Amino acid sequence: MTANLPTVTITGIGSVSPYGPLAGLIPQCPLEPSVITAWTSAEPRRAFLVQPFRPASVVPGLKTRRLDRLSVWALVASSLAIQDAGIDLSQVDRSRVAVVFATAFGCVELTEAFYLSAAANGWNGTDPATFPETLASAPPSHVSLFHSLRGPNVTVSNKDFAGESALIQATSLLRHGQADLAIVLAGDALARTLYSWYEAAGLLSPACYDSGPLPEAGGFIPSEGVAALVMESFGRGDVRPYARIGSGRWAAGGQRAEIVRQMLGGSVPSLTVCSGNGAPCATSSTTALAREISGDGAVIIPSQPFAGGLAGTGALFHLILALSSRPIRGQALLLGTAGDSGFAALLLELL
Amino acid sequence: MTDIDETIVVTGVGVVSPYGTGLDCLQAGMLSGKCCLEPTKDVYPGFEGMTARVQGLAPLEEDSSSRYSRTDRLATVAARDAMANSGHDSSTFRESGIVMANTVGGLTEIDTGIAEDPAAWYRRRGSLLRGASYPFAHVADAVGEHFGIRGPRCAISVACASGAMAIALAANMLLDEAAPIMLAGGSDPLCPFTLSGFNSLRALDPNPCSPFDQNRNGLNLGEGSAVLVLETLTGATARNANVLAVLRGWAMTNDAFHTTAPQKQGSGLADCIKLSMEMAEVSGDEIGYVNAHGTGTPLNDVAEANAFETAFRGRNRPIPVSSTKSYFGHCLGAAGALEAAITIMAIRSGALLPTLRLADPIESPGVDWLRGEVKRQPLPLAMSVSSGFGGSNTVLIFGSGHS
Repeated sequence: MTANLPTVTITGIGSVSPYGPLAGLIPQCPLEPSVITAWTSAEPRRAFLVQPFRPASVVPGLKTRRLDRLSVWALVASSLAIQDAGIDLSQVDRSRVAVVFATAFGCVELTEAFYLSAAANGWNGTDPATFPETLASAPPSHVSLFHSLRGPNVTVSNKDFAGESALIQATSLLRHGQADLAIVLAGDALARTLYSWYEAAGLLSPACYDSGPLPEAGGFIPSEGVAALVMESFGRGDVRPYARIGSGRWAAGGQRAEIVRQMLGGSVPSLTVCSGNGAPCATSSTTALAREISGDGAVIIPSQPFAGGLAGTGALFHLILALSSRPIRGQALLLGTAGDSGFAALLLELL
Repeated sequence: MTDIDETIVVTGVGVVSPYGTGLDCLQAGMLSGKCCLEPTKDVYPGFEGMTARVQGLAPLEEDSSSRYSRTDRLATVAARDAMANSGHDSSTFRESGIVMANTVGGLTEIDTGIAEDPAAWYRRRGSLLRGASYPFAHVADAVGEHFGIRGPRCAISVACASGAMAIALAANMLLDEAAPIMLAGGSDPLCPFTLSGFNSLRALDPNPCSPFDQNRNGLNLGEGSAVLVLETLTGATARNANVLAVLRGWAMTNDAFHTTAPQKQGSGLADCIKLSMEMAEVSGDEIGYVNAHGTGTPLNDVAEANAFETAFRGRNRPIPVSSTKSYFGHCLGAAGALEAAITIMAIRSGALLPTLRLADPIESPGVDWLRGEVKRQPLPLAMSVSSGFGGSNTVLIFGSGHS
């Protein structure tokens, strides 16, 4: 059933992250968590935060009043990815452009705001302008609306592999001719309720409380941002893609090394990019699986603290950071693990 | 789509609705003309309106904690019913994939205190687990963990088109051989957050809704869940499964028009209907019934009627259409899956359900608005239409197992 399907390539990258709003690869520079000032706490709390910026200065004409930050970042990141791909949307059949968005928590800031309005005014006094913007699907809806994209508009999630599942679902839409081009987005915004949950559950790294060097052990540092990729199946001759998408698998259980090897069909990727969250235990589990699959000689890029801080939506940033870190070509495996046997694996040909 | 490897079939349907659990229960209730919408006052202080509730939803066996939200429980009961309906035990489904849609997630387990002082709220007994059920992905995990299903899991949230889109994406996953069987559907409960939201938008009809009526006055919210067992015809044949229906075509589009309002001419939805018919390789004349989105809001219903006029233009006779939201309200992320189940039910029984309380239909010469008595006729092909906030549209075409 998968024979003779069109080739799918990644041709554009955009992002809004602690590195700022960027088109294309992310310049290599050290990233430190910064102190959270959006809400008060007895002691300083740290995370990898997107610094405030004026969206219209990045995307002329963009109006973002009353939108959740997640929607704003999706709009900016998608615009930067389209720009990076060199696509003139006026020349594209926009009914054939899909938007696939991965999020773990959706528009959690405006959800908090809606609850606060209910606390202040009663449930009969909530703000009608806020309610539709609390939906998890609001960010990709704004992307479709802003760019007039009339193809499928999908919001997906998965506790551990939301980013990977968005990449696989978008590939599926393109391969089955349900779209010619897809804007794939993944990310989340950090809100007080979310940070407090991580804290209460004891999941945070000591670096969230101390400004010293990032420790080797214990917990992860939450982060925020949205990454966007342009994926297409129509193969524009004048564009050099970043990567070609191969096969992908994800599951909540099973013999993961065996399933991934079967997916690879005998080939051994020269590079494995570990996704998944940035807690040391998760990182070591993924790198161990990568070693099992690819052997001792393979190059393995471990989970990056910033991308790992995005919980299930960090896969796109993991990929972008790997592409940004060195000139690499050949087969690469994007690999994440969760729990005892959950995994996500996506084979790419880096070009 | 004639290759049996690429033919997607439905081999089980599970339903939890205000009528109770099971497709038979739903069918008996709807054929009797019973409306489940009732005056409700206790969803939150100050609320007065019509809702349709699922009564007596039992806790899951080991659910002594608050680990599972009401959304999770509705989905899990529907999934269990779907697996039972397929005639196979849960071990058959061990490697299955799951695509579950919802919009509410764990909001049923959370109150305003979480936003006022989250640290204090999480210190309350059981609150960490209740908070953990908030992400909409939790529903897919709840179903998977409860039944020990270990294939790929994915959650979908695209407002009111969610349930139908879950089915469409699950069909794509079968074509990709991501799993041998897919459980796909949607689940959404009533909760103060969404009732307050729709109330603030003045979208709620204080009386039982009357979709497609000239005097319609908004929607009512309901709750429920539906899950379909999907597989390829090859797989179903190999394990001697009972084919209930064939998923002949599916399509997804976006209006790209407004965050809440549909495009008035229904052009995005009309495109979606046409794309689904192209995929199914059928003409408008061959579709015997459309289960409409039909919320009862002034804007939705006129846009949808316009979409039917456009998509079925040239048809020999008006297209029979009804909205079954008139029976138990709008179940949001579950609506598309419940209506897919109702569409399959119509194909199998040959009973086309009318829209309740449709006295004075919207003028739409290309549409045969079903009202009054149940219409009985052979129904080889039928369509289920879903739309949602943000302009998302999904259309599913089902055929009889014999088609």
